[in-house]
Amino acid sequence: MSKYMTFTEVVFKDRDLLVAALEEIGCKYIRQGENLEMGRYYSEQIQRRADIIIPRDTIGNCYGDIGFERSGSGEYTPIIDDLDQRRVFNGQFIPRLRAAYNERVVSKVAARLRGTVHRAVEGGVVKIKVRY
Amino acid sequence: MPEIHFTIDPQTGEMEMKVEGVQGPQCADVAKIVTELTGAPEREENTKEYYARPTVKPTIQGLKQ
Repeated sequence: MSKYMTFTEVVFKDRDLLVAALEEIGCKYIRQGENLEMGRYYSEQIQRRADIIIPRDTIGNCYGDIGFERSGSGEYTPIIDDLDQRRVFNGQFIPRLRAAYNERVVSKVAARLRGTVHRAVEGGVVKIKVRY
Repeated sequence: MPEIHFTIDPQTGEMEMKVEGVQGPQCADVAKIVTELTGAPEREENTKEYYARPTVKPTIQGLKQ
């Protein structure tokens, strides 16, 4: 069964950082606007609207679009078909996006503090030290 | 010199942050900058440094001895 799911526990607060993170993980086609209509490709998929949309079949999402809906508080929450959620990047779409987004958060924080950045990968995790 | 240590787990995308070298609640200012971009943390705890009082040495200027 194919259906759009909203991940309310995963939020992205900065639109520019989110778009940059999407590009970094390989999203070449990104529709941006307000209250855009997401595609409805299966009868189980209810009509959804989003403000940022990765069109179907552009990053391995063969069951539907991937959307990001802006909430009243300005946070973006992902909307993705449950089958695509398991399929895109072998289920790693949201973790990869979060990691790319968070790396950009660190860069932005470092810039605001006028700090220096030291990045290393240790034991499979990324460690970044900002000195200011 | 203050440092912020970020740890990002690529498997989950989750990030942890630790502020070092900032005594008192000033580190909350740094946390605020981060949470503006990430949202509220799932878990938060203050380190010993948070409760430490900055040492201030009083200086008197303009006195002639």
